[in-house]
Amino acid sequence: MSALNWISSKLFAGDTVYARHTYGGIRPQSFKQHSLRSRIMSTPIPAQLTIPVGAADGGTITQLVAVGEQVLKYQKLASIQLNRDGCSEVFAHAPTSGVIAEIKSARVADHRIQQQLCLLLTTDGHDDALVVEPSYDPVNLNSAEIVDIIREAGIIGMGGAGFPSADKLDSAFNSAIDILIINATECEPYITADESLIRERAKKTVLGAELLQRACSATRCVFAIEESKRDAIEALTKALQADTEVASSCELVIIPTKYPAGSENLLIHCVTGIEVPSGEYPAQSGVLMLNSGTAYAVCEAVVQGKPCISRITTLCGETLQTPKNFEVLIGTSANFLFDLCGIDNSVAHRSIVGGPLMGRELNADDAVIYKTTNCLIAAGPADIPMPAEERACIRCGFCADVCPVRLLPQQLLAFSKSSDTDALVEHGLFDCIECGACDYVCPSHIALVSTYKDSKACIEARQQEVDRSAYWQQRFQYRQYRLKKDKDQSLARKSANKTPAPKLEKKATPAPLPNGQDFFSKEKASAEIAAAVARVKARREAKTRVNGESHAAPKDDPK
Amino acid sequence: MNTLRPGAPFQHSGKDVAQLMQTLLYALLPGIFCSLWFFGYGILINIVLAILFALFAEAVVLRLRGKHIFLHLSDKSVLVTAVLFAVAIPPGSPWWLTAIGIVFAVVIAKHLYGGLGQNPFNPAMCGYAMLLLAFPLEMTSWHVPGEVLNGPLTVDSLGIPTTTTERQLISPLSWTAFQQSALLAFPFAVSNTVQLQEFIDGLVLATPLIEFKMAGHSALLAARDSGASLFARGSETAWEIINIGYLLGGLFLLYKRIISWHIPLAIIATVLAVSALMYAPGSVAVYGTPYLHLFGSATMIGAFFIATDPVSAATTKSGKIIYGIIIGVSIYAIRVWGSYLDSIAFAVLFGNFCAPVLDQYCRPRIFGHGLRRHSRPAVISERPAKP
Repeated sequence: MSALNWISSKLFAGDTVYARHTYGGIRPQSFKQHSLRSRIMSTPIPAQLTIPVGAADGGTITQLVAVGEQVLKYQKLASIQLNRDGCSEVFAHAPTSGVIAEIKSARVADHRIQQQLCLLLTTDGHDDALVVEPSYDPVNLNSAEIVDIIREAGIIGMGGAGFPSADKLDSAFNSAIDILIINATECEPYITADESLIRERAKKTVLGAELLQRACSATRCVFAIEESKRDAIEALTKALQADTEVASSCELVIIPTKYPAGSENLLIHCVTGIEVPSGEYPAQSGVLMLNSGTAYAVCEAVVQGKPCISRITTLCGETLQTPKNFEVLIGTSANFLFDLCGIDNSVAHRSIVGGPLMGRELNADDAVIYKTTNCLIAAGPADIPMPAEERACIRCGFCADVCPVRLLPQQLLAFSKSSDTDALVEHGLFDCIECGACDYVCPSHIALVSTYKDSKACIEARQQEVDRSAYWQQRFQYRQYRLKKDKDQSLARKSANKTPAPKLEKKATPAPLPNGQDFFSKEKASAEIAAAVARVKARREAKTRVNGESHAAPKDDPK
Repeated sequence: MNTLRPGAPFQHSGKDVAQLMQTLLYALLPGIFCSLWFFGYGILINIVLAILFALFAEAVVLRLRGKHIFLHLSDKSVLVTAVLFAVAIPPGSPWWLTAIGIVFAVVIAKHLYGGLGQNPFNPAMCGYAMLLLAFPLEMTSWHVPGEVLNGPLTVDSLGIPTTTTERQLISPLSWTAFQQSALLAFPFAVSNTVQLQEFIDGLVLATPLIEFKMAGHSALLAARDSGASLFARGSETAWEIINIGYLLGGLFLLYKRIISWHIPLAIIATVLAVSALMYAPGSVAVYGTPYLHLFGSATMIGAFFIATDPVSAATTKSGKIIYGIIIGVSIYAIRVWGSYLDSIAFAVLFGNFCAPVLDQYCRPRIFGHGLRRHSRPAVISERPAKP
């Protein structure tokens, strides 16, 4: 942060706090100004929406509508029970009215997930909506109620990770949260979705943040924003000062413009000085982080009663004539949006979802917008220059200088090439956040992050193999043990038969019970069976009752 | 053969190895120019010969290894090796000395270990050390054109040249000096060996022997005191000026962030500290002043250009500092107690030996590791009160 910048933003932003500097990082050209020229636009309703309902990494999908059924805007279409740890269900809602035409697997514009099960919605253009119930008194909702509304609204992390927000808040109940950080950093080049959102809808975002703060009972709530985002900082400062509806306890922290400042654990360190231990959740350190887009969606859900059916997505790239931010319905295809921005089809473009540093290249432009799609780039040759030929690593150490988690990428590369698993793990391969800063500065143009991803996958696969073989070995050993035990027992029985002991036989016959009944009486047996059935029934009932209660108010009973 | 990147990131800073090497070569220019100014064309001939032989050797080895010749030649690393080697060996070395050294450096020290990025030792210094061990006489003869025999060569009846003729100082950059340097590099050009011998004897031996250099005080200061020009092309002031040249080049590299400050600073600080500690004015043992240790020999080029070769150096920050300290101590120890001309090559090679261990044990703490539990720091600021 140069002195001049510091002074000017100090003058500009008023009462703000500046965060500490962090290790490493790069300052790539941002290209953000192109999509910030216009305001957030909403799109016309496309003829077809392909609404993703399932996650690729497993999960149980419950379909709530049938093919051919007429649905209304805001109507629940499906719920997904994710396989991930600590996830409850996520709902998908209809972004507009129409008829469900088909269920099929389709490409999704997401960082990680390439294919998802989708519902094809043929829209009717009427945009008939269910009557949503706005919460008339958002100020007095308690935390459990807010979390329930968030869960019903199907809100997941809008920054890209896509973790269900309600579950994230739930996890906070196990540990006291000191500070809630609203991540408005958006440090990657091109992406301006959060910046434009705060610039134009700061008040609602702040309100959402306050609701989130109440939901997780955090002591403080902090907006973290990069100092280069002047307009957004100004809007946020105004919103924080003007907010009189709720006793706002939100603060603004301005962080240095540096990639990857917005990475969760790095930002936590930057803002609070807390270093989240490797392998732990931030909540265990008393910190919770949510994206500003999520905060906005929460505000919409709680105050207006609208579920998450749209998001703000940046459309940019050299081949687009009018790059801009769209408030786009979930399920809109990338093609549709590119056409709206006036794509120049004479130039070959590469479509990238997410930023140019951590994003993923789309194989085809028919991929659809998901709740995590923050940016779509139709990149021309100037955006993504042809990569130069890879040369040998000269261990210059530029990569280690920029690595925000203080790894030694040059050493990791050498160990990756020699498949030295132990050394890779010891040198922190699994702490790599795959930000790509090392790739960006590598003068030998080595695809470091891709190498590390491969190595990670390799090691994980090998570990699974090891686990599986250990499991089967255990099974085998148990079988050997069982066979030996059986054999020993049969031997013992045989030897016992050879020398019969009359005394033992006498003991085996049951003595008559004192009340005169036989040990094996019919009445007694049926009575016992009836008692067992009653016990099971009672237990089942108790279980369903507990479930029902936990759905209604799971927060009142922190376990 | 351009292939698309397999995944993110899609952007690149535009830095390139070839560009780094080129900047390094530019940074060598001030020092080379000073050498040229003081010691004549010998260094230029060394550089040209070394580059030619190095390119040839590299191309042959790349071909034998089945590599893409132009891609690998275009990284310019072999040029850096050649120039550093050429600067290190004495000006006026015969062509075969240069050839043997640089071919050894490129083929054995670099490519037999796997080429660029794989060599555990600095190739240029390997070549230099090999020559020093194999050809000690040639490696200690610093022929500097500075004088010519004035008058005809006369050989008496026994074949012994007469030494009655007068000597005349000439400029090292004159045409005669060029002829002399060329003759030194290509001795076969003179048919009469006696004549050559006489001719060589006539040249100044600017031997950078430690005893000689460390005994005196700063030649620059002496020259200033006596009112002589600093650039008078006497070989006394040459070393100090050359070192300043390399220092400037090194600072340029630091400014361009091609090298980090850790290794040069550690070396210079160590040499300074050790020599200041050992320096005893008026004592019988000659240890030399700290100033002469820094500027009287090849310390600057060693600290900024040779020891910072990233391939063979330690790679972590703390490792680099320890690596620099090891080299600094070695420079001083070999220079003062050893029996070699100068100590940069052996000191750097010794540092290369230590680098893998340093890399193993001097690792930075990874983010989120090795934390004390339950250390929640205080809040960064108090919340400003709302109006």
